[in-house]
Amino acid sequence: MAISIRDNFSPAAQASQPPMVRNDVGHPSFTLTIDGKTMQAYQGQTILSVAIDNGISDIPNLCNDEKLEPTSACRMCLVHIEGAERPLPSCNTPAEPGMVVATNSDELFHLRRTNLEMMLSDHNAYCQPPCQVDCPTHIDIPGYLELIAQGEMKEAARLVKEVLPFPFTLGLTCPAPCQKACRRTLVDEEIAICRMHGHAAETCLLDPPLPYVQDPPTGKKVAVIGGGPSGLTAAYYLALRGHYCKVFDMQPQAGGMLRYGIPEYRLPKDMMDREFQQLWDMGIDFQANVKLGRDFTLDDLFAQGFDAIYLAIGCWTSNDLRVPGEDAEGVVNAIRYLGDKVEGKPVPVKSGDEVIVIGGGFTAFDCTRTSLRLGADVHTMYRRGRTEMGATTEEVEDGEAEGTHLQLYVSQTRVITEDGRATGVEFQRNKLGEPDASGRRRPVPVPGSEFILNCDTVIPAIGQAVDTRVLDDASGIKWTKWKTIQTNPHNFMTDREGVFAGGDCQMGAKTIIEGVAQGKLNARSIHSYLMGEDMNEVSRRLELEERRPDLFDIVPYKPVEPKVKMPMLPYEKREKSFALIEMGYLKEQAQREAARCLQCACPAAGQCDLQKYSIEHGLADNRFHDGEPSDYHDYDTDLSHSFILRDPNKCINCTQCVRVCHDVIGPDCYGMFGKGFDTIVSTPFNVSLHDTDCVSCGACVQVCPTGSLMMAERSLSRYSFALDRCIFCGDCVEVCPHGALGETPNFELSFFNRFGEDVTLEKNDLANAPNYLVRQRLPRGKKDLPVMSPLVRPLPARSIRD
Amino acid sequence: MPKFEQSYRVLQHSANADVRSLSAYRSKGGYSALEKALRELSPEQVNQQVIDAKLRGRGGAGRLTGEKWRITRQSEDDQKYVICNAYDADSRSLAARTLLEQNPHQVIEGILLAAYAVGASEAYLFTRSTSAAAHAAVQQAVQEAVEANLVGRDILSTDFSCTISVLGAEMGFMGGEETVQMALIKGRRGMPEQRPPFPAQYGLWICKTTAINSVETLVNVPYIVREGAAAFASVGSAMTGGTKLLTVYASPTSEPQVVEVPFGATLRDILDHAGLSTAANAAGAVVVGGAEGGALPLSALDTAYDFDPLEEAGVIVGSGIIELLPVDTCMVSWAMGQSAYLTKESCGKCVPCRLGVKRITGILEGIVSDLGVSGDLDVLDEFADYVPNGSLCGFGVQATNPLKTAKRYWPEHFTTHIQEQRCPTGTCVPVRAHRFVTKHVLP
Repeated sequence: MAISIRDNFSPAAQASQPPMVRNDVGHPSFTLTIDGKTMQAYQGQTILSVAIDNGISDIPNLCNDEKLEPTSACRMCLVHIEGAERPLPSCNTPAEPGMVVATNSDELFHLRRTNLEMMLSDHNAYCQPPCQVDCPTHIDIPGYLELIAQGEMKEAARLVKEVLPFPFTLGLTCPAPCQKACRRTLVDEEIAICRMHGHAAETCLLDPPLPYVQDPPTGKKVAVIGGGPSGLTAAYYLALRGHYCKVFDMQPQAGGMLRYGIPEYRLPKDMMDREFQQLWDMGIDFQANVKLGRDFTLDDLFAQGFDAIYLAIGCWTSNDLRVPGEDAEGVVNAIRYLGDKVEGKPVPVKSGDEVIVIGGGFTAFDCTRTSLRLGADVHTMYRRGRTEMGATTEEVEDGEAEGTHLQLYVSQTRVITEDGRATGVEFQRNKLGEPDASGRRRPVPVPGSEFILNCDTVIPAIGQAVDTRVLDDASGIKWTKWKTIQTNPHNFMTDREGVFAGGDCQMGAKTIIEGVAQGKLNARSIHSYLMGEDMNEVSRRLELEERRPDLFDIVPYKPVEPKVKMPMLPYEKREKSFALIEMGYLKEQAQREAARCLQCACPAAGQCDLQKYSIEHGLADNRFHDGEPSDYHDYDTDLSHSFILRDPNKCINCTQCVRVCHDVIGPDCYGMFGKGFDTIVSTPFNVSLHDTDCVSCGACVQVCPTGSLMMAERSLSRYSFALDRCIFCGDCVEVCPHGALGETPNFELSFFNRFGEDVTLEKNDLANAPNYLVRQRLPRGKKDLPVMSPLVRPLPARSIRD
Repeated sequence: MPKFEQSYRVLQHSANADVRSLSAYRSKGGYSALEKALRELSPEQVNQQVIDAKLRGRGGAGRLTGEKWRITRQSEDDQKYVICNAYDADSRSLAARTLLEQNPHQVIEGILLAAYAVGASEAYLFTRSTSAAAHAAVQQAVQEAVEANLVGRDILSTDFSCTISVLGAEMGFMGGEETVQMALIKGRRGMPEQRPPFPAQYGLWICKTTAINSVETLVNVPYIVREGAAAFASVGSAMTGGTKLLTVYASPTSEPQVVEVPFGATLRDILDHAGLSTAANAAGAVVVGGAEGGALPLSALDTAYDFDPLEEAGVIVGSGIIELLPVDTCMVSWAMGQSAYLTKESCGKCVPCRLGVKRITGILEGIVSDLGVSGDLDVLDEFADYVPNGSLCGFGVQATNPLKTAKRYWPEHFTTHIQEQRCPTGTCVPVRAHRFVTKHVLP
């Protein structure tokens, strides 16, 4: 017999209805109440359309579209109707006189959220790659990992160089914020993202690719002050734009902190120079041993004909310990110590010395490990705990394994001196107090816990600052209260027109990759300035591009694949040796590691309704991870069609494409197939769309609420059109399923100037005809799409590996 | 021992008489109700008789058939339809196919009376193509009726015309849903539509009003018209008049038998009537309603078989199956099995049914495999409400009945599996190696 239904809405005879009122065009109307507001509705309207007409736009729905017959499959638009026991879908329930409707309640919220959780539990896809968002330069990480997996090393390096000019150098030195965000950790371990681009660049170090074809010279001249990562990056991208760049540096060689702050065992300088060679090949000039404020001023540069100046002078002054005795002999400046070691000058540490390094950042560990390699006995002292350290965990663990004595929660109280020479440091133990402004918990000294550590040398490495003496008031540059250069936060122009600043001197001592990111942004800002753009507009644009998008993860079923570990120099070989400790991947290892990437990139991210509603409904967790393979679907994608790409893994079976193709367009390419949990929207027998009656109109892509159907990139710039033969029949307008052509009062046929900008089709007598009606276009967008942040460049759809 | 045989209305005893042929049926007074209605009664009067008889839909919803007809009849559409739902959704139910095989002409007479009452001139009889004998029998009967001018134009030389199209399809469980049948008649994929609007308001083809009734409902109409509403309502409960066909299984694997019992009879009497009194006392549970039905403990055997008492007990009339489960049945495993079956039978249209039932099955599989945690019980409770509240059609509304009754009457089976990691009856084998885990997935 029939399936039993004990729902309580019986088709009872309608009670005597209040009389219909006709509006001014004769349409019968009545009133109903939605969310306490009385609204006018017309016969045949659904509750949803009444609500939308009256400004209630927060009823979510994933399967409804105004041009389609409702299907109420997604169950997101459920509302309470007085008298009905169950919530009913507003998209399909006819409005009736006197109805009382509530569109929001806790119950509905939970119903909707559980619906979304259910859909996500079988949504075998991701939204946006968090690695790319967390990378300050926003490298297309899934893109280059895919290329590496295919063995296309040079193309991978080129892709990285679009935003990062030094993939090899950064591959060895970057603290890799991308890897902390890697979603592969939800399956097993993160991917060696950073070392991957290092490997790709290493394979073509002698023949590096240019990211783009270099523009012809523009005749503009830019002076870059400071040849560190930020300055060189800005010069690189400005040179690509065709501007002449000259880099001024106070050191004898280019590289800044990369060369003088990073020890040889982390970054071999000869290799770095090979990577820099591309800059000089591009025509960038470098002048060494000149210092701003000592040898030249900003005015000098403008007088020499430079159109813009980029200040990237870095942070080269070590912070003071602020304890008695720090001026004593034997207290060494950390930056100068590292620089002298690189330059081969004598350093104050020798084998058998007792060295105390104070600090927990990268510089502290560089000093620690350099001193260890010089044969010293090193004590690294830090006032907080491991988790608060600035250096990465790997760095700390390596330092300990190489033999430093690490002590945590200790603060220096004074340097003990004897005849003006440091002989030890007195420390006091700390406990952690309340979090401070940086979010790290403030160390509080424990009274009476003082102890003394004897030493020959003290190396304080507790941060660096900008040398503010290089710019006087006459330069027109202002300083912030943190003694960094004050700029516009988005376009980086200082208070002096044409002078930009970035890198450590603008943001305080940060990581290399952040310096590179600022160099890249500055290059864009300076280019816009040189091209005469409105700098407020530039600021607005860059702010929008850097805005952090809403992320949403889903963790689909993926098999576990262990990480390919970077081969490292054994610890016993590191003693008294400055050989590079990371030995690099073999090509096969790199390909295997890159292939672990989950390709967390969906071209629909930011425009996806499922993503939007999931964020709106605060879906913090999904209760259906890590089940059996039969709990999830892993469909093959269909990328065979020239214009429409199908990824059934993202399909939520809303059937909008099925209905729009059948009811509105006509070819009827899609249908629902399978039964029960395995139901999926597909083409008949899952053939390629090419083998259906598809007319490539793209209406299915337009209605798809997720990224399951995507438009492939296509360039339809202009149709050839015989103007002299057009008889204005309007057939083209009639048949275009996309509404791309339309009639307007002056009879311009093309909405998008597809016939070319100079073509305007007019026929005034027809337009003046009394029975002329402006043709209603097909509704184009179903909803107001949120503006997608272009921060993450939409990626072309790729095949999804297992 | 109750004498339910005396109240048999629609099921004829095979020894008693064979009414499969037209002549045999007419010799027993067949088609006299149709003749009486066409010559003496107005459609309104036929409709009123059905209302008076308190004939409720046998398909499971239990709506008053007469009310449904009245709405259809009062609609302003000039073309109306009648659909006879003779599709056993649950393939283990034999009710519809037994009726079609044994008493096809009474079904046809019922369809014609319905068409007369609502003003329809076209009717469809929707059956399951896999029950070949029933299909053949009803085709044969329609052919006979057409030749005897009982179906077609100017029936019995009156101005009433009605054609009957017999359709057979194999759509699994969902084929029993009324809007699925309308979709199939229209040539669409068999998926239900949201109600309201009901078929009585918005039905076949271009929104024509359609009276869609179960075959078991329609087969009772000739009796009502012939004998009167009072005679019909003399059997049955105060709430529901008449009898119900039930398919009774002594165990999940035994041969079924079909019985006809008056509404209001207790489950114990029904089992006695089917000759299962001793088997009932040795059983572990009684399942009422078929695949979407619930399980009741033996202490509930005195529940009356009627719509409301069954609903209070947590079970449904459903597909009219009563089944005894062996005493060593683990009810978690039973609920898991039912849920797994329903996962496969869902049409896949709405989210709560397609995915919710699947996830319930997954959680139950985890518990059966001794991987459950006590939090699973809360999640199951949540979903037992979520799926019925969110689902589109009756399938989803009823899909959690097995889970809900198993948890309500046998909570100790769940806790034994979860807390002691063993099966209370020692019958379960693990079916999965990984339980679902929650992962935090925010930015």
